[in-house]
Amino acid sequence: MSVQIHLHRTHRVHAGGLETVEVEGRTVGECLEDLARRHPGMRDALFDKHGKLSRNVEIWLNLESTYPDELARPTKDGDLLHVTVMLTGG
Amino acid sequence: MIHHNALAKKSPACGGLIVRARGTNGRKVGSLTRRQLERYDRQIMLPEVGVAGQLRLAQARVLVAGLGGLGSPVCTYLAAAGVGRLRIVDGDRVQTSNLNRQVLHQDADLGVTKVESAMAKLSRLNPEMEIEPVHVPIDETSVGDLVSGCDVLVDALDNRRTRLVLNAAAVRASLPLVHGAVQGFEGRVMTILPGLSACLACMDRGGRETTSFPVIGTVPAVMGSIQACEVLKCLLGVGDLLAGRLLAYDGLAQTFTEFKVTRNPACPCCAEPGGGST
Repeated sequence: MSVQIHLHRTHRVHAGGLETVEVEGRTVGECLEDLARRHPGMRDALFDKHGKLSRNVEIWLNLESTYPDELARPTKDGDLLHVTVMLTGG
Repeated sequence: MIHHNALAKKSPACGGLIVRARGTNGRKVGSLTRRQLERYDRQIMLPEVGVAGQLRLAQARVLVAGLGGLGSPVCTYLAAAGVGRLRIVDGDRVQTSNLNRQVLHQDADLGVTKVESAMAKLSRLNPEMEIEPVHVPIDETSVGDLVSGCDVLVDALDNRRTRLVLNAAAVRASLPLVHGAVQGFEGRVMTILPGLSACLACMDRGGRETTSFPVIGTVPAVMGSIQACEVLKCLLGVGDLLAGRLLAYDGLAQTFTEFKVTRNPACPCCAEPGGGST
């Protein structure tokens, strides 16, 4: 079950500068967990201290919003996840 | 309903040509002077605009909330396009750190309210336009009056909390809201059509606020121009709006990515009773 994750630019430093990472998982949560396993620095970038998805992180599955219940969304082979961060400036 | 139908007549009183537009019921809906015809000639030539569309712009009132990096290009292009009335709202004064991106404001405006500064530039750009400057913070108390009488709202704000206040007002009043946000080399735009497409609260995860943020000035220029285009399309009733479509710009990669945003059946702002909001 191979899924590509497109990382936000500010997170790439935690993944050796990679723009995309291939992971395994049957849900968005499993995919992000696998990402954090391969690149431990990603855990603090994506999750809060309680293990919940950070509030300023957004996850998109095949270019569609996954909110709410992001982590429970099922994934399938060949899916593409995008990680973005909330923008507030104007 | 106005359709693109115009009658040209000589008008001695005005010393020149006046073009009148008529609605589908044949009633006159307004007229443009020779000077207006010349000023807006390049867009009146467009089938999507025409004389009737130009009149529609002239009769519109648009609220621009925030006169910073996004609000500057939004106001500039709406004024240049001939939008008749702009209600510009900002509670801040011009600071030195604004000047890398907030191109309505200049060195000489430091310390002046942003609405005064913006009004001076916009009045010079288009003296025929009516500008309503409002120097107040946008909050639950003020927002109802601010959106009243407007056709389209523009979110050019710089914080999540105020955005949600404006979003809620747009939903309550069933007014289109064109959202924009920037940070660093990134920006995004999405149009909210209450009851039809996702609102800001549908996708709000409660992220933390930042009091100051890094940004390169060209990014709000790009995103604000796209917001202005959305407003014009809204007013003209043409094209495909960014409703339910979050357009994300990456200035470093020079790419645009479009994300689909669906309505949240449990949205605290726009969900309908029974959860039938999708």
